[in-house]
Amino acid sequence: MSRISAMRAYCFGSAIVSVLIVGTILLTLLIQSAPILMADDAQLIGTKWSPGSGQFGILPMLFGSIFVMLIAVSIAFPVGLMAAIYIAETRSSKLRRIMKSALEILAGIPSIVYGLIGVAYLNIWIADLFDLQSGRIILTAGILLGIMILPTFLTLAEDAISAVSVKYRENAKSLGLYRHEVFLSVILPKAKSGIAGAGLLALGRALGETMAVMLVIGSLDRLPSPLFNALSSGQTITSKLGREVTESAFGSPHFSALVFMGLLLVLITILLTIISRYMFRQKDQHV
Amino acid sequence: MTFNLKNVCFLLLASALAACTAPEAINVSGSSTVLPAVSKAADQYSSQTGVSVIVNAGGSGGGFNQLAEGQTDIGMMSRDITVGELEKFSALNFKEIAIGRDAVVPSVSSEIYDAGVTALTLSQISDIYAGRVDNWLEFGGPDRAIYAIDKEASRGTRQIFMTVVMGNPKAEAPGADLVTGSNNEEQTALTQSDSAIGMLSYAWLNQDVRGLSIITDDGQTVEASLETIRRGDFPFVRNLNVVTRDDIKPSAEAFIAYLLGPEGQKKVEESGYIRVKN
Repeated sequence: MSRISAMRAYCFGSAIVSVLIVGTILLTLLIQSAPILMADDAQLIGTKWSPGSGQFGILPMLFGSIFVMLIAVSIAFPVGLMAAIYIAETRSSKLRRIMKSALEILAGIPSIVYGLIGVAYLNIWIADLFDLQSGRIILTAGILLGIMILPTFLTLAEDAISAVSVKYRENAKSLGLYRHEVFLSVILPKAKSGIAGAGLLALGRALGETMAVMLVIGSLDRLPSPLFNALSSGQTITSKLGREVTESAFGSPHFSALVFMGLLLVLITILLTIISRYMFRQKDQHV
Repeated sequence: MTFNLKNVCFLLLASALAACTAPEAINVSGSSTVLPAVSKAADQYSSQTGVSVIVNAGGSGGGFNQLAEGQTDIGMMSRDITVGELEKFSALNFKEIAIGRDAVVPSVSSEIYDAGVTALTLSQISDIYAGRVDNWLEFGGPDRAIYAIDKEASRGTRQIFMTVVMGNPKAEAPGADLVTGSNNEEQTALTQSDSAIGMLSYAWLNQDVRGLSIITDDGQTVEASLETIRRGDFPFVRNLNVVTRDDIKPSAEAFIAYLLGPEGQKKVEESGYIRVKN
Protein backbone atom coordinates (compact mmCIF):
# COMPACT_ATOMS: atom_id res chain seq x y z
CA MET A 1 0.00 0.00 0.00
CA SER A 2 1.37 3.35 -0.88
CA ARG A 3 1.94 5.94 1.74
CA ILE A 4 -0.76 8.19 0.30
CA SER A 5 -3.51 5.60 0.28
CA ALA A 6 -2.60 4.62 3.85
CA MET A 7 -2.91 8.26 4.81
CA ARG A 8 -6.24 8.50 3.10
CA ALA A 9 -7.53 5.40 4.91
CA TYR A 10 -6.36 6.88 8.20
CA CYS A 11 -8.14 10.17 7.60
CA PHE A 12 -11.27 8.39 6.47
CA GLY A 13 -11.16 6.22 9.58
CA SER A 14 -10.83 9.27 11.83
CA ALA A 15 -13.78 10.94 10.15
CA ILE A 16 -15.90 7.81 10.59
CA VAL A 17 -14.95 7.59 14.25
CA SER A 18 -16.03 11.20 14.90
CA VAL A 19 -19.35 10.63 13.19
CA LEU A 20 -19.83 7.38 15.08
CA ILE A 21 -19.20 9.08 18.41
CA VAL A 22 -21.86 11.70 17.75
CA GLY A 23 -24.24 9.01 16.51
CA THR A 24 -23.60 6.83 19.55
CA ILE A 25 -24.24 9.69 21.94
CA LEU A 26 -27.54 10.56 20.30
CA LEU A 27 -28.58 6.91 20.12
CA THR A 28 -27.69 6.31 23.77
CA LEU A 29 -29.67 9.37 24.83
CA LEU A 30 -32.64 8.16 22.82
CA ILE A 31 -32.52 4.61 24.15
CA GLN A 32 -32.07 5.75 27.72
CA SER A 33 -34.95 8.22 27.55
CA ALA A 34 -37.31 5.67 26.06
CA PRO A 35 -38.51 4.20 29.41
CA ILE A 36 -39.67 7.55 30.73
CA LEU A 37 -41.28 8.50 27.43
CA MET A 38 -43.26 5.28 27.49
CA ALA A 39 -44.17 5.47 31.16
CA ASP A 40 -47.86 6.24 31.65
CA ASP A 41 -47.94 8.51 34.64
CA ALA A 42 -44.57 10.24 34.62
CA GLN A 43 -46.24 13.59 33.81
CA LEU A 44 -43.22 14.86 31.92
CA ILE A 45 -45.06 18.00 30.83
CA GLY A 46 -45.74 18.96 34.42
CA THR A 47 -44.29 21.19 37.08
CA LYS A 48 -43.73 18.64 39.81
CA TRP A 49 -40.42 16.80 40.05
CA SER A 50 -40.57 14.13 42.69
CA PRO A 51 -38.61 10.95 41.95
CA GLY A 52 -39.97 9.37 45.12
CA SER A 53 -43.52 9.43 43.80
CA GLY A 54 -42.58 8.81 40.18
CA GLN A 55 -43.38 12.26 38.88
CA PHE A 56 -40.91 13.89 36.56
CA GLY A 57 -42.29 17.24 35.44
CA ILE A 58 -39.54 18.91 33.43
CA LEU A 59 -41.21 22.27 32.87
CA PRO A 60 -39.45 24.13 35.72
CA MET A 61 -36.05 23.05 34.36
CA LEU A 62 -36.88 23.73 30.72
CA PHE A 63 -38.30 27.13 31.59
CA GLY A 64 -35.29 27.87 33.81
CA SER A 65 -32.84 27.03 31.04
CA ILE A 66 -34.58 29.26 28.53
CA PHE A 67 -35.15 32.09 31.00
CA VAL A 68 -31.53 32.14 32.15
CA MET A 69 -30.38 32.00 28.54
CA LEU A 70 -32.59 34.97 27.62
CA ILE A 71 -31.23 37.06 30.50
CA ALA A 72 -27.66 36.16 29.56
CA VAL A 73 -28.27 37.04 25.95
CA SER A 74 -29.97 40.34 26.69
CA ILE A 75 -26.89 41.34 28.67
CA ALA A 76 -24.18 39.96 26.41
CA PHE A 77 -25.57 40.91 23.01
CA PRO A 78 -25.99 44.68 23.32
CA VAL A 79 -22.73 45.12 25.22
CA GLY A 80 -20.86 42.72 22.97
CA LEU A 81 -22.16 44.25 19.77
CA MET A 82 -21.34 47.81 20.78
CA ALA A 83 -17.87 46.80 21.90
CA ALA A 84 -17.32 44.84 18.69
CA ILE A 85 -18.33 47.84 16.61
CA TYR A 86 -16.00 50.07 18.60
CA ILE A 87 -13.03 47.74 18.25
CA ALA A 88 -13.61 47.09 14.57
CA GLU A 89 -14.47 50.62 13.53
CA THR A 90 -11.71 52.50 15.31
CA ARG A 91 -9.51 50.45 13.00
CA SER A 92 -6.55 50.52 15.32
CA SER A 93 -4.69 47.25 15.00
CA LYS A 94 -2.99 47.81 18.35
CA LEU A 95 -6.30 48.22 20.21
CA ARG A 96 -7.68 45.22 18.39
CA ARG A 97 -4.72 43.06 19.32
CA ILE A 98 -4.86 44.00 23.01
CA MET A 99 -8.63 43.59 23.25
CA LYS A 100 -8.60 40.31 21.39
CA SER A 101 -5.97 38.72 23.56
CA ALA A 102 -7.72 39.92 26.70
CA LEU A 103 -10.98 38.44 25.44
CA GLU A 104 -9.37 35.15 24.62
CA ILE A 105 -8.05 34.91 28.15
CA LEU A 106 -11.55 35.69 29.45
CA ALA A 107 -13.08 33.02 27.25
CA GLY A 108 -10.55 30.51 28.50
CA ILE A 109 -11.29 30.88 32.21
CA PRO A 110 -12.86 27.64 33.46
CA SER A 111 -16.54 28.02 34.29
CA ILE A 112 -16.10 26.83 37.86
CA VAL A 113 -14.01 29.95 38.49
CA TYR A 114 -16.90 32.12 37.34
CA GLY A 115 -19.12 30.02 39.59
CA LEU A 116 -16.93 30.64 42.62
CA ILE A 117 -16.89 34.36 41.94
CA GLY A 118 -20.66 34.17 41.63
CA VAL A 119 -21.02 32.44 45.00
CA ALA A 120 -18.50 34.59 46.80
CA TYR A 121 -19.38 38.05 45.46
CA LEU A 122 -22.00 38.43 42.76
CA ASN A 123 -24.78 36.70 44.68
CA ILE A 124 -24.18 38.89 47.74
CA TRP A 125 -24.08 42.11 45.70
CA ILE A 126 -27.33 41.20 44.01
CA ALA A 127 -28.97 40.32 47.30
CA ASP A 128 -27.93 43.74 48.67
CA LEU A 129 -28.98 45.56 45.54
CA PHE A 130 -32.50 44.19 45.45
CA ASP A 131 -32.75 43.76 49.23
CA LEU A 132 -33.30 40.02 48.94
CA GLN A 133 -32.72 37.27 51.47
CA SER A 134 -30.40 35.50 49.11
CA GLY A 135 -28.80 36.24 45.78
CA ARG A 136 -28.99 32.65 44.59
CA ILE A 137 -31.58 33.45 42.01
CA ILE A 138 -32.29 33.20 38.29
CA LEU A 139 -31.12 36.77 37.69
CA THR A 140 -27.70 36.08 39.23
CA ALA A 141 -27.28 33.00 37.07
CA GLY A 142 -28.31 35.01 34.00
CA ILE A 143 -25.89 37.85 34.72
CA LEU A 144 -23.04 35.44 35.41
CA LEU A 145 -23.78 33.58 32.22
CA GLY A 146 -24.00 36.86 30.31
CA ILE A 147 -20.50 37.72 31.49
CA MET A 148 -19.31 34.27 30.49
CA ILE A 149 -20.62 34.34 26.94
CA LEU A 150 -19.68 37.97 26.34
CA PRO A 151 -16.11 37.26 25.18
CA THR A 152 -17.21 34.52 22.78
CA PHE A 153 -19.85 36.72 21.24
CA LEU A 154 -17.71 39.85 21.17
CA THR A 155 -14.73 38.29 19.50
CA LEU A 156 -16.78 36.48 16.84
CA ALA A 157 -18.94 39.52 16.13
CA GLU A 158 -15.82 41.63 15.81
CA ASP A 159 -14.37 39.12 13.36
CA ALA A 160 -17.54 39.34 11.31
CA ILE A 161 -17.33 43.13 11.13
CA SER A 162 -13.60 43.21 10.41
CA ALA A 163 -14.01 40.57 7.72
CA VAL A 164 -16.07 42.90 5.56
CA SER A 165 -13.81 43.63 2.62
CA VAL A 166 -12.02 47.01 2.59
CA LYS A 167 -13.26 47.69 -0.94
CA TYR A 168 -16.85 48.15 0.29
CA ARG A 169 -15.66 50.56 2.91
CA GLU A 170 -13.61 52.58 0.44
CA ASN A 171 -16.27 52.64 -2.22
CA ALA A 172 -18.79 53.85 0.30
CA LYS A 173 -16.41 56.53 1.54
CA SER A 174 -15.69 57.68 -1.98
CA LEU A 175 -19.39 58.22 -2.45
CA GLY A 176 -19.13 60.83 0.27
CA LEU A 177 -21.03 58.94 2.96
CA TYR A 178 -20.50 59.88 6.58
CA ARG A 179 -18.78 57.38 8.78
CA HIS A 180 -21.96 56.23 10.53
CA GLU A 181 -23.65 55.92 7.15
CA VAL A 182 -20.81 53.75 5.88
CA PHE A 183 -21.22 51.50 8.87
CA LEU A 184 -25.01 51.33 9.05
CA SER A 185 -25.80 50.94 5.38
CA VAL A 186 -22.75 49.10 4.05
CA ILE A 187 -20.75 47.29 6.72
CA LEU A 188 -23.56 46.18 9.00
CA PRO A 189 -25.69 44.52 6.30
CA LYS A 190 -22.61 42.63 5.14
CA ALA A 191 -21.63 41.54 8.64
CA LYS A 192 -25.18 40.81 9.78
CA SER A 193 -25.21 37.08 9.20
CA GLY A 194 -21.81 36.65 10.81
CA ILE A 195 -22.98 38.53 13.89
CA ALA A 196 -26.10 36.41 14.08
CA GLY A 197 -23.99 33.28 13.80
CA ALA A 198 -21.80 34.52 16.64
CA GLY A 199 -24.94 35.11 18.66
CA LEU A 200 -26.18 31.58 18.12
CA LEU A 201 -22.85 30.07 19.12
CA ALA A 202 -22.98 32.13 22.31
CA LEU A 203 -26.55 30.96 22.88
CA GLY A 204 -25.39 27.37 22.64
CA ARG A 205 -22.72 27.99 25.23
CA ALA A 206 -25.24 29.66 27.52
CA LEU A 207 -27.59 26.69 27.30
CA GLY A 208 -24.92 24.13 28.03
CA GLU A 209 -23.17 25.86 30.91
CA THR A 210 -23.45 23.86 34.13
CA MET A 211 -21.08 24.55 36.98
CA ALA A 212 -21.39 28.30 37.29
CA VAL A 213 -25.18 28.20 36.97
CA MET A 214 -25.54 25.33 39.41
CA LEU A 215 -23.73 27.23 42.13
CA VAL A 216 -25.80 30.41 41.98
CA ILE A 217 -29.29 29.55 40.77
CA GLY A 218 -30.69 28.14 44.01
CA SER A 219 -31.64 24.72 42.59
CA LEU A 220 -35.31 24.95 43.39
CA ASP A 221 -37.46 22.83 41.03
CA ARG A 222 -40.27 25.33 40.88
CA LEU A 223 -41.61 27.68 38.25
CA PRO A 224 -41.09 31.25 39.47
CA SER A 225 -44.24 33.02 40.52
CA PRO A 226 -45.14 35.26 38.82
CA LEU A 227 -43.66 33.40 35.90
CA PHE A 228 -41.13 36.00 34.81
CA ASN A 229 -39.90 36.83 38.28
CA ALA A 230 -36.14 36.67 37.80
CA LEU A 231 -35.63 37.36 41.49
CA SER A 232 -36.73 33.89 42.56
CA SER A 233 -34.63 30.76 42.74
CA GLY A 234 -34.91 28.30 39.92
CA GLN A 235 -33.29 25.40 38.17
CA THR A 236 -31.92 24.78 34.71
CA ILE A 237 -31.64 21.47 32.90
CA THR A 238 -27.88 21.51 33.29
CA SER A 239 -27.90 22.36 36.98
CA LYS A 240 -30.49 19.65 37.57
CA LEU A 241 -28.35 17.09 35.76
CA GLY A 242 -25.27 18.24 37.63
CA ARG A 243 -26.98 17.80 40.96
CA GLU A 244 -28.87 14.59 40.42
CA VAL A 245 -27.11 12.39 37.92
CA THR A 246 -24.87 10.73 40.49
CA GLU A 247 -27.71 9.93 42.83
CA SER A 248 -29.99 8.28 40.29
CA ALA A 249 -29.43 4.59 39.66
CA PHE A 250 -28.57 3.64 36.09
CA GLY A 251 -31.69 2.32 34.35
CA SER A 252 -34.21 3.74 36.82
CA PRO A 253 -37.09 6.01 35.69
CA HIS A 254 -35.30 8.83 37.52
CA PHE A 255 -32.17 8.32 35.43
CA SER A 256 -34.25 8.03 32.29
CA ALA A 257 -36.00 11.33 33.01
CA LEU A 258 -32.65 13.04 33.52
CA VAL A 259 -31.35 11.61 30.25
CA PHE A 260 -34.47 12.82 28.50
CA MET A 261 -33.74 16.36 29.67
CA GLY A 262 -30.21 15.92 28.38
CA LEU A 263 -31.62 14.84 25.04
CA LEU A 264 -33.81 17.94 24.89
CA LEU A 265 -30.80 20.11 25.55
CA VAL A 266 -28.79 18.37 22.83
CA LEU A 267 -31.65 18.80 20.36
CA ILE A 268 -31.96 22.52 21.12
CA THR A 269 -28.20 22.93 20.74
CA ILE A 270 -28.17 21.00 17.46
CA LEU A 271 -30.94 23.19 16.17
CA LEU A 272 -29.00 26.33 17.11
CA THR A 273 -25.87 24.94 15.48
CA ILE A 274 -27.70 24.15 12.24
CA ILE A 275 -29.17 27.63 12.13
CA SER A 276 -25.80 29.24 12.83
CA ARG A 277 -24.09 27.07 10.19
CA TYR A 278 -26.67 28.19 7.71
CA MET A 279 -25.99 31.82 8.56
CA PHE A 280 -22.23 31.46 8.32
CA ARG A 281 -22.59 29.83 4.92
CA GLN A 282 -24.68 32.69 3.66
CA LYS A 283 -22.01 35.09 4.75
CA ASP A 284 -19.34 33.18 2.84
CA GLN A 285 -21.35 33.35 -0.35
CA HIS A 286 -21.67 37.10 -0.20
CA VAL A 287 -18.14 38.14 0.66
CA MET B 1 9.65 -4.73 8.93
CA THR B 2 11.22 -1.84 10.78
CA PHE B 3 7.78 -0.30 10.99
CA ASN B 4 6.45 -3.35 12.80
CA LEU B 5 9.39 -3.47 15.11
CA LYS B 6 8.70 0.09 16.12
CA ASN B 7 5.16 -0.82 16.96
CA VAL B 8 6.25 -3.73 19.09
CA CYS B 9 8.68 -1.51 20.96
CA PHE B 10 5.89 0.95 21.59
CA LEU B 11 3.63 -1.71 23.00
CA LEU B 12 6.40 -3.02 25.23
CA LEU B 13 7.12 0.46 26.50
CA ALA B 14 3.47 1.12 27.19
CA SER B 15 3.00 -2.11 29.12
CA ALA B 16 6.19 -1.49 31.06
CA LEU B 17 4.91 1.95 32.03
CA ALA B 18 1.56 0.51 33.09
CA ALA B 19 3.29 -2.02 35.30
CA CYS B 20 5.37 0.69 36.92
CA THR B 21 2.48 2.67 38.37
CA ALA B 22 1.89 2.69 42.10
CA PRO B 23 -0.22 -0.06 43.75
CA GLU B 24 -3.88 0.31 42.93
CA ALA B 25 -5.61 3.14 44.74
CA ILE B 26 -8.61 2.68 47.04
CA ASN B 27 -11.56 4.78 45.94
CA VAL B 28 -13.97 6.11 48.55
CA SER B 29 -16.91 8.36 47.80
CA GLY B 30 -20.24 9.54 49.16
CA SER B 31 -21.54 11.57 52.07
CA SER B 32 -19.91 14.93 52.68
CA THR B 33 -20.73 14.40 56.35
CA VAL B 34 -18.59 11.28 56.67
CA LEU B 35 -15.92 12.68 54.38
CA PRO B 36 -13.89 14.83 56.83
CA ALA B 37 -13.22 11.88 59.13
CA VAL B 38 -12.41 9.45 56.33
CA SER B 39 -10.24 11.87 54.43
CA LYS B 40 -8.19 12.76 57.52
CA ALA B 41 -7.71 9.07 58.22
CA ALA B 42 -6.88 8.46 54.55
CA ASP B 43 -4.09 11.04 54.59
CA GLN B 44 -2.47 9.43 57.55
CA TYR B 45 -3.03 5.92 56.21
CA SER B 46 -1.43 6.84 52.88
CA SER B 47 1.61 8.36 54.48
CA GLN B 48 2.05 5.31 56.70
CA THR B 49 1.46 2.55 54.17
CA GLY B 50 2.04 4.18 50.78
CA VAL B 51 -1.35 2.96 49.57
CA SER B 52 -3.18 5.86 47.98
CA VAL B 53 -6.75 6.48 49.06
CA ILE B 54 -8.89 8.78 46.91
CA VAL B 55 -11.80 10.31 48.80
CA ASN B 56 -14.62 12.09 46.96
CA ALA B 57 -17.84 13.74 48.07
CA GLY B 58 -21.16 13.17 46.30
CA GLY B 59 -23.79 12.55 48.94
CA SER B 60 -24.96 9.33 50.59
CA GLY B 61 -27.19 8.35 47.67
CA GLY B 62 -24.43 9.05 45.19
CA GLY B 63 -21.96 7.05 47.25
CA PHE B 64 -24.27 4.05 47.36
CA ASN B 65 -24.99 4.14 43.64
CA GLN B 66 -21.33 4.40 42.75
CA LEU B 67 -20.53 1.47 44.99
CA ALA B 68 -23.37 -0.61 43.56
CA GLU B 69 -22.28 0.17 40.02
CA GLY B 70 -18.69 -0.70 40.82
CA GLN B 71 -17.27 2.80 40.37
CA THR B 72 -15.91 3.01 43.88
CA ASP B 73 -14.58 0.54 46.45
CA ILE B 74 -16.13 2.02 49.56
CA GLY B 75 -19.27 4.15 49.83
CA MET B 76 -19.74 6.66 52.65
CA MET B 77 -23.27 7.10 53.94
CA SER B 78 -24.59 9.31 56.70
CA ARG B 79 -27.74 7.18 56.91
CA ASP B 80 -28.72 3.53 56.50
CA ILE B 81 -29.24 1.92 53.12
CA THR B 82 -32.94 2.13 52.25
CA VAL B 83 -35.12 -0.79 51.20
CA GLY B 84 -35.62 0.88 47.84
CA GLU B 85 -31.89 1.06 47.27
CA LEU B 86 -31.44 -2.60 48.20
CA GLU B 87 -34.22 -3.58 45.80
CA LYS B 88 -32.60 -1.70 42.95
CA PHE B 89 -29.49 -3.83 43.30
CA SER B 90 -30.99 -7.02 44.70
CA ALA B 91 -28.32 -9.16 43.04
CA LEU B 92 -25.62 -7.67 45.25
CA ASN B 93 -24.88 -7.98 48.95
CA PHE B 94 -23.94 -4.89 50.90
CA LYS B 95 -22.42 -4.43 54.31
CA GLU B 96 -22.79 -1.32 56.45
CA ILE B 97 -20.13 -0.56 59.02
CA ALA B 98 -20.60 2.33 61.45
CA ILE B 99 -17.35 4.25 61.95
CA GLY B 100 -18.79 7.04 64.07
CA ARG B 101 -21.90 8.81 65.30
CA ASP B 102 -23.17 12.26 64.55
CA ALA B 103 -26.24 14.42 64.85
CA VAL B 104 -28.04 16.50 62.29
CA VAL B 105 -28.62 19.87 63.88
CA PRO B 106 -31.27 22.35 62.75
CA SER B 107 -29.08 25.40 62.29
CA VAL B 108 -29.72 29.10 61.87
CA SER B 109 -27.75 32.14 60.76
CA SER B 110 -25.96 33.68 63.74
CA GLU B 111 -28.07 36.88 63.39
CA ILE B 112 -31.21 34.90 64.20
CA TYR B 113 -29.54 33.07 67.06
CA ASP B 114 -28.26 36.30 68.56
CA ALA B 115 -31.72 37.85 68.22
CA GLY B 116 -33.02 35.23 70.62
CA VAL B 117 -34.20 32.24 68.61
CA THR B 118 -32.08 29.55 70.23
CA ALA B 119 -34.54 26.69 70.60
CA LEU B 120 -37.56 25.43 68.66
CA THR B 121 -39.92 22.50 68.95
CA LEU B 122 -40.01 19.90 66.20
CA SER B 123 -43.46 21.02 65.13
CA GLN B 124 -42.28 24.61 64.82
CA ILE B 125 -39.49 23.45 62.50
CA SER B 126 -41.95 21.43 60.47
CA ASP B 127 -44.18 24.52 60.20
CA ILE B 128 -41.27 26.33 58.56
CA TYR B 129 -40.52 23.59 56.03
CA ALA B 130 -44.18 22.96 55.29
CA GLY B 131 -44.57 26.65 54.49
CA ARG B 132 -47.05 27.37 57.30
CA VAL B 133 -44.87 29.93 59.04
CA ASP B 134 -42.70 32.38 57.16
CA ASN B 135 -41.58 35.00 59.66
CA TRP B 136 -39.14 34.82 62.56
CA LEU B 137 -41.46 37.07 64.56
CA GLU B 138 -43.65 34.03 65.26
CA PHE B 139 -40.81 32.41 67.16
CA GLY B 140 -39.71 35.50 69.06
CA GLY B 141 -37.15 36.55 66.50
CA PRO B 142 -36.83 39.70 64.40
CA ASP B 143 -39.53 40.71 61.94
CA ARG B 144 -37.84 39.08 58.98
CA ALA B 145 -38.98 36.44 56.50
CA ILE B 146 -37.61 32.97 57.15
CA TYR B 147 -35.19 31.79 54.50
CA ALA B 148 -35.59 28.01 54.63
CA ILE B 149 -32.74 26.01 53.12
CA ASP B 150 -33.47 22.49 51.95
CA LYS B 151 -31.05 19.86 50.66
CA GLU B 152 -31.00 17.56 47.66
CA ALA B 153 -33.40 14.65 48.14
CA SER B 154 -30.76 11.92 48.25
CA ARG B 155 -28.66 13.55 50.96
CA GLY B 156 -28.39 11.53 54.16
CA THR B 157 -28.58 14.66 56.28
CA ARG B 158 -31.91 15.61 54.72
CA GLN B 159 -33.40 12.17 55.13
CA ILE B 160 -32.61 12.04 58.85
CA PHE B 161 -33.84 15.60 59.30
CA MET B 162 -37.10 15.03 57.43
CA THR B 163 -37.74 11.73 59.20
CA VAL B 164 -37.56 13.42 62.58
CA VAL B 165 -39.30 16.67 61.63
CA MET B 166 -41.89 15.63 59.07
CA GLY B 167 -42.10 11.89 59.79
CA ASN B 168 -41.01 10.88 56.30
CA PRO B 169 -37.49 10.85 54.81
CA LYS B 170 -38.83 11.90 51.42
CA ALA B 171 -41.18 14.59 52.70
CA GLU B 172 -41.53 17.52 50.37
CA ALA B 173 -40.74 20.95 51.69
CA PRO B 174 -42.98 23.54 50.00
CA GLY B 175 -41.64 26.16 52.41
CA ALA B 176 -38.07 25.82 51.12
CA ASP B 177 -36.45 28.78 49.38
CA LEU B 178 -33.17 27.20 48.33
CA VAL B 179 -31.80 23.72 47.73
CA THR B 180 -28.16 22.98 48.43
CA GLY B 181 -26.01 19.88 48.18
CA SER B 182 -23.07 19.30 50.48
CA ASN B 183 -22.65 20.45 54.07
CA ASN B 184 -20.13 22.90 52.72
CA GLU B 185 -22.61 24.51 50.37
CA GLU B 186 -25.33 24.60 53.01
CA GLN B 187 -22.97 26.15 55.53
CA THR B 188 -22.00 28.88 53.05
CA ALA B 189 -25.63 29.69 52.31
CA LEU B 190 -26.45 29.87 56.04
CA THR B 191 -23.46 32.10 56.69
CA GLN B 192 -24.25 34.47 53.84
CA SER B 193 -27.86 34.95 54.93
CA ASP B 194 -29.05 36.80 58.02
CA SER B 195 -32.36 34.98 58.35
CA ALA B 196 -31.80 31.41 57.25
CA ILE B 197 -32.58 28.05 58.78
CA GLY B 198 -31.05 24.84 57.50
CA MET B 199 -29.75 21.45 58.52
CA LEU B 200 -26.11 20.71 59.19
CA SER B 201 -24.04 17.94 60.58
CA TYR B 202 -22.88 18.73 64.12
CA ALA B 203 -19.25 19.01 63.02
CA TRP B 204 -20.07 21.86 60.63
CA LEU B 205 -21.46 24.30 63.21
CA ASN B 206 -19.39 27.39 63.96
CA GLN B 207 -19.67 31.03 65.07
CA ASP B 208 -21.62 32.07 61.97
CA VAL B 209 -23.86 29.04 61.85
CA ARG B 210 -25.44 28.16 65.19
CA GLY B 211 -27.19 24.98 66.17
CA LEU B 212 -30.68 25.23 67.63
CA SER B 213 -31.67 23.39 70.77
CA ILE B 214 -34.76 21.22 70.55
CA ILE B 215 -37.69 21.70 72.91
CA THR B 216 -39.17 18.26 73.53
CA ASP B 217 -42.84 17.47 74.08
CA ASP B 218 -42.41 17.45 77.87
CA GLY B 219 -40.93 20.93 77.77
CA GLN B 220 -37.27 20.08 78.16
CA THR B 221 -34.66 21.87 76.08
CA VAL B 222 -32.04 19.57 74.59
CA GLU B 223 -28.92 21.28 73.40
CA ALA B 224 -26.85 19.73 70.62
CA SER B 225 -23.60 18.70 72.26
CA LEU B 226 -21.27 15.72 72.12
CA GLU B 227 -22.76 14.68 75.45
CA THR B 228 -26.42 14.66 74.33
CA ILE B 229 -25.49 13.01 71.06
CA ARG B 230 -23.55 10.27 72.83
CA ARG B 231 -26.46 9.63 75.20
CA GLY B 232 -28.89 9.63 72.29
CA ASP B 233 -30.97 12.44 73.81
CA PHE B 234 -30.69 14.74 70.83
CA PRO B 235 -33.41 13.63 68.40
CA PHE B 236 -31.38 13.66 65.21
CA VAL B 237 -28.61 11.19 66.06
CA ARG B 238 -27.38 8.89 63.31
CA ASN B 239 -24.61 6.49 62.42
CA LEU B 240 -21.89 7.45 60.00
CA ASN B 241 -21.38 4.40 57.83
CA VAL B 242 -19.01 3.06 55.29
CA VAL B 243 -20.65 0.53 52.98
CA THR B 244 -19.01 -2.18 50.94
CA ARG B 245 -19.93 -4.98 48.59
CA ASP B 246 -19.12 -8.66 49.02
CA ASP B 247 -16.44 -8.49 46.38
CA ILE B 248 -14.45 -5.84 48.25
CA LYS B 249 -10.75 -5.88 47.52
CA PRO B 250 -8.37 -6.70 50.37
CA SER B 251 -6.67 -3.31 50.34
CA ALA B 252 -10.04 -1.60 50.91
CA GLU B 253 -10.81 -4.02 53.70
CA ALA B 254 -7.52 -3.14 55.38
CA PHE B 255 -8.41 0.55 55.20
CA ILE B 256 -11.77 -0.05 56.89
CA ALA B 257 -10.00 -1.97 59.65
CA TYR B 258 -7.77 1.08 60.03
CA LEU B 259 -10.82 3.36 60.27
CA LEU B 260 -12.16 1.24 63.13
CA GLY B 261 -8.77 1.02 64.80
CA PRO B 262 -7.44 3.49 67.38
CA GLU B 263 -5.88 5.86 64.84
CA GLY B 264 -8.93 5.93 62.58
CA GLN B 265 -11.26 6.48 65.53
CA LYS B 266 -9.07 9.34 66.68
CA LYS B 267 -9.61 11.02 63.31
CA VAL B 268 -13.37 10.49 63.69
CA GLU B 269 -13.18 12.34 66.98
CA GLU B 270 -10.96 15.09 65.59
CA SER B 271 -13.60 15.71 62.93
CA GLY B 272 -16.14 16.53 65.60
CA TYR B 273 -17.94 13.19 65.67
CA ILE B 274 -18.30 10.49 68.28
CA ARG B 275 -16.20 7.34 68.14
CA VAL B 276 -17.84 3.93 68.02
CA LYS B 277 -14.88 1.97 69.41
CA ASN B 278 -12.70 2.88 72.35
